Order: sequence, then C-alpha cells, then structure tokens
Amino acid sequence: MFAEPILHVDMDAFFVEVERLRSPKLRGIPVVVGGAGPRSVVAAASYEAREFGIHSAMPMVEARRRCPGIVIVPPDHDEYSRASGIVFEVLRGFTPLVEPVSIDEAFLDVSGLRLHYASAAAVAMGIRSAIRERVDLPASVGIATTKFVAKLASEEAKPDGLFVVTLEGCQVFLDALPVTKMWGVGAATAAALARIGVATVADLRSCGERVLGRELGPSLAGHLLALATGIDPRPVVPESDAKSVSVEETFETDLTTGSEIASVLRGQADKVGRRLRRAGLRGRTITVKIRYTDFRTITRSETLGNDTDVGAVIGEVASRLAASAWTESAPVRLLGVGASNLVGADEPIQLTVAGDDRRRSLDAALDDLADRFGGDIVDRASKIVNDPRSRGH
Amino acid sequence: MRIRAERDDLGDVFARANRAVGARAALPVLQGLLCEVTGSTLRVTGTDLEMTVRTQCDVEVMEEGRALIPGKLLENAVRRMPSGPVTISAGDTDVEILGRGPRFSVRPLSIDDYPTLDDSTIEGTDVDGDALASAIGQVTVAASTDAARPILTGVLFETTDQGVRLVATDSYRLAVKDLPGVGLSGQGLIPARGLRELPRTVGASKVSVGIDTREGVFASDRGSLRLRMIEGTFPKYQSLLPDSYPNEIVVDKEGLLEALNRVALVAEDHIPVRLTLQDGGIEIAVTRQDVGGETEHLPGEYSGAEASVLIAFNPRYLADGVGAIAGDEVRIRVIDGLKPSVIDSKDDPEFLYLLMPVRI
Repeated sequence: MFAEPILHVDMDAFFVEVERLRSPKLRGIPVVVGGAGPRSVVAAASYEAREFGIHSAMPMVEARRRCPGIVIVPPDHDEYSRASGIVFEVLRGFTPLVEPVSIDEAFLDVSGLRLHYASAAAVAMGIRSAIRERVDLPASVGIATTKFVAKLASEEAKPDGLFVVTLEGCQVFLDALPVTKMWGVGAATAAALARIGVATVADLRSCGERVLGRELGPSLAGHLLALATGIDPRPVVPESDAKSVSVEETFETDLTTGSEIASVLRGQADKVGRRLRRAGLRGRTITVKIRYTDFRTITRSETLGNDTDVGAVIGEVASRLAASAWTESAPVRLLGVGASNLVGADEPIQLTVAGDDRRRSLDAALDDLADRFGGDIVDRASKIVNDPRSRGH
Repeated sequence: MRIRAERDDLGDVFARANRAVGARAALPVLQGLLCEVTGSTLRVTGTDLEMTVRTQCDVEVMEEGRALIPGKLLENAVRRMPSGPVTISAGDTDVEILGRGPRFSVRPLSIDDYPTLDDSTIEGTDVDGDALASAIGQVTVAASTDAARPILTGVLFETTDQGVRLVATDSYRLAVKDLPGVGLSGQGLIPARGLRELPRTVGASKVSVGIDTREGVFASDRGSLRLRMIEGTFPKYQSLLPDSYPNEIVVDKEGLLEALNRVALVAEDHIPVRLTLQDGGIEIAVTRQDVGGETEHLPGEYSGAEASVLIAFNPRYLADGVGAIAGDEVRIRVIDGLKPSVIDSKDDPEFLYLLMPVRI
C-alpha cells in the first residue's frame, strides 16, 4: 500500500486560481496573470487560456495575439505568497518531510503515515480536500516511488486530480514517455538522442550503456539510464533549508545609468532583507544578477564576513558588485539581488561596534509599514528620485 | 648603468623595495623596480601607487644610469646566485645579472612609462622604531581587509594631549594604542596594509614619521616608506569605550591562547566560543553541530557584580586580541553578553582591545 510513498503536490494554475477567489467573474474564461507592458511575460495561464496554446513565460504580446480577448490580471505576489503559506501549512500538517520546489509545488515523503492511512493515495486525497477546505484552491497530486516519477505523475493528474504510478506499473508508464520529459534532457541532449533514433524512454533503455555513453558521455548516460528504469535516489529534503532568497525584475525600459542601477538594487536589497527577516533567516553570500538587452547574463557574488538581514548592508554589497561587473552604459534589461548561504535568525550573530542597530530599527519600521499598507508603501528617496518610471509625475 | 655588490646586500634592497610591488600590478611597469645609480649609491624604488618603498645601498659603480627591471625576477635571480659578488649591467634592451658563473639576461621595462613619484619631504618626527613597529603590530590586527570599506582598512594616527594614538577597527573589534610623548605634525588615516610592511622595509631603531593630508612618510637610514592617506572620516570611536565594567577577570595570557588554539580545532568559522566568567576562572566551551565540542577550565581572578557572566566571542577575534597584548596576563572586562568587552593588561596600560560579543 505504501510502496509508492513520494507525493508531488502541484497547485493548478496557482496565480490564476488565487485571483479567481477574489474575483469570481474570472472563472471559466481565459485569464493570464502578468504585467501589461511590452516586455511582460505570462506568469500563469488558466486552463481556458492554455487551450489557445498560451503558457507561462510566453511574451504577453504573443498571448494577446493568440487570444485577443484574454483577461490580463496584474500579479499580486504578496497575495500568492500568503496563499502559498497556507498551502504549505496544510502540507506540513500531514508530514514534516515537505520539500518546497517553488511557491506552488512540493515533494512529500509520506512513508511515515503508513499506520494512519490505508495508502499513499488516501493521504493524497486527504491533502487535496484539506487544501480545498482551507483555501479553496485546486491541487493535483502525483504519487510514485521516486521524486522523478511523482513529478511526471502529477502532470498526468492535472487539472485537479490525482494519479498513481505503482511500483509494478512504473516501467510501463516510463517506457511510453518521450525522452524530453526526463530530468536532464534539454534541447541538445534530445537532439543527440534523436540522432541515434531514441525518442522514448523505452528506446533509451534498449540502447544500452555503451552506445549511450559514447553519445552523451558516461555520467549523463548513467544518470538517464537510472531514471529510465525508475531509479532516482534523491530523497525528499524538508524545508528549513531555503537555499536562497532573491528578488529580480525585468524592466519595461532598459536601465542605462549607474545611478538607476544602484537605486533599483537598493530597493531590491530592501525586499530581500524583508523576506529574510520574515522567514527568520540571515544570509552570508550576496549575489547580483544583470541581464543585458542581448540576454547576456552575468552574476557576481560576495561572501561577507558575517551574515546579515539588513537591507542597507545587502544593498551596499549589491551596488558594489554591480558597479564592478556592469559594462559601462550597456543597457540592462533585468536586475536581481539574492542572499544565500542562509542561517536561522536564532543562530549566533556577531555584533558590531557601530551597531547595525540603527539600520535594524529602520528596517523594522519599514517592515511594519509594509505589513500594514503593502510592500510598495515606502521606498528609499534615492530610488524614487532615480526611478525612470517615476519621472514626469 | 653597471654596478657590483655582494649578493646578500643586493638581495636585501630588492626584497625590501619589492614589498610595495603587488602580485597583480595595475600597470605592467609597476611590476618593475626602478634602479638608479649615482655616485656610489644604488637607489631602488618599488610602488603600487598607494605604497612606495625607496631603499638604497652602497655599491661599486662602474657606470651611472637608471633601469626599470622586473622586480620579482630581479630579486629571485640575485638570491639564487652563488654567494659572492653579483654584477648588474643594464642597457636599453637587456639587463645582465652576472654571478660567479650564472648569467641572467632580462628584458627591462620601459622606464619612460614609469610614473613620476612624489619625492617631496614632509617634516618628520623621530620615533622609537621598535615601539612604533610593535604598536602597529598591535592595532593592525583589528583593521579590516575588506577593500569595500576603505576607511576600516586604515589605522588612525591621532594626536592627543599625551602624544599620539593609533586606532583601528573592522567594526567587530577596535584596537587602541597610545604612544605617550610622541608629537606628530599631522594626523590621519594610513593604510594598515602598508603599515604592516614597515618592519620589513625601513624598520630601524629610529624612524622619522611625517604625516600630511596626502601621505604618511616613514623614513630611516634604510630608506623610506610612503603611504597614501585614506580619505574619509574614521568612526567616532571614543563613545564606544564603556565608562565602567561591572565584571572582570584576570587570566594567564599563554594559558588563554593555548585554550583558544584547542577551541580552534573544533570552531572553524563563525562558531562562537562561550566563556563563563566566575569565581575561580573561566569555563570555556565550544560546540559545533556535526563535529563535536571542547570544554575546559582556565583559572583566573574574578571580581564582578554578577556571580557569573556568560559571553560568547568569535574565537579568532578573541585570539587576535589576546595575542596582541604585551605582558604575561590579560584582563577581560565585561558588562554583559551583548555589550562590548575590553581586553587589556596591567603590563601594557597603553593598549586596549575592544571586542563585540556574538549574540547567542
């Protein structure tokens, strides 16, 4: 009964469904969540929109072309993370072995519930109805022996369903899949496989290790053959270990000056600091991501002497990293700031003579305002002055 | 130019000037040592533009002149020669370094591209060189090496009623050393990185110190070390020094350092060491998840308002401070687990090391 203890819980069209809770008139029609500007992309598409071939990450312009009447809802990430928080609370009510994959997706290892439930499928049903009850959102669950297969199973389960790949049925299920569904097969690998006539997982298995190894190199070949036979040793690693906290933004208008870049980074750093503090974390490594208009992307990071959750400290490091990495006057399309190498806020912290106390109390005041009035209520004056979107007001 | 001198004398001047030559010089010419021969003197200059070392020695001069020679190669070539005299002859396209047998041929760098260095003199004050070097050694442990915060990479030279005071902080600790009776003409922030080179470049029993707004100049009979001043305002450190400390303990310095060495076996990076100060001494404890721990008792004289005080420190910062103390015993003064502690010694009343605890 518990031969398949791994669950992949995936919320269906999550952002859209959260919006529909607030505006029921969005139900049953094609809806996408995303910005409306020339550069915006689809963050989430309702199943009705997907009928038009619209999917997330598609440019909004393209989505509009495919479905001219489509309703575009601007994203409200605070609301999504609030809903996500409740979903994860529900999941952790079943087992502590919950590994978040993203805001709306997680792996669970429910083998510890064998005494309480008849089967993993019964746990999955319990989870789906508990989520319905708490937040009234649809969730699909894939059930299998491994994370790899469970994730594939949840795709089969969608929308709003449940799909079990049993231990016995696993090989048959896998054999029928195209190799492109496999974790580790990107465009290049798929092309290489196509050259030797491999299209499905069954083809891949019949190929044998030597032929594959010659084509793909021994390590990728070994990895794919293991997956193809249902072997995936990755355990479910429970949370508490968020790997990083980051914020990034694609601009409607390219940034071209150092001061614009610095002020955006400071604003992003404040957000990273706030998220760290809310999550009860501090980071030691600060990373900056810069994407130019030609999509060339660079990241730079610096590991600090001591961990921090102070927005101003993160902002200083981020601005400095960007200043040394940015090619002067090259137009910037996207900027991001992240903190990684995280430790819990209750871990010991080295105090400073100058006292980050003043900056901490500024952060606390900002947190308070953001909690009461929403994330954008206050901003640094430097940001407002430099923000091209604020000009002309 | 063409000179001859003993291998060890040449090796010494080149090595000292090379202290200012960075491994990754900003300009290729800065990898060179400028060698200038006039009269019977060889003057050697190395610089990274922030730090400039000039040294000289008497040599046998066959021909005056100047050359810019790759510094590391020049030094190493001379040092690897058999002991005895070494001859250096520099032409426009080739520098010959000749020992008793071996002969190096080295391409010179373009002397025309070498920056013009400020050679003006600053009115200096003679200072006891050993006292200065040891004061610098004591305070520079607290200076930051993070180039991103330049002000914290410097040592503040500050004139006081009693003399001159050296201060450094990386924001986690602060070291203060007074040199009473020394009157300097100027004050300001001098790069710690350059100051650390003082003993190995121009260190001598008497050193002249001159400071103006642009440069700090340290000169002795061995040459001069010029350091470009750091611009900016040093943190107002005076208000950080607590007025009183309700609790203090005096322990043996070597004993504490040995204990911290044992602690370091367990406490890599960021694992704080916990000190419980109480009657009879300090209980020292460190634990590191997944590794283990260490505990020990260090005897000491405790007097305090509290029966015991628990405080945690970064073990490396603590060891830096204890190690900087001159004397056989150290005193640790503590307010509580969140306020600055001060480490000093009655054997070394002019020095103190303030250390911020780790909040646990």
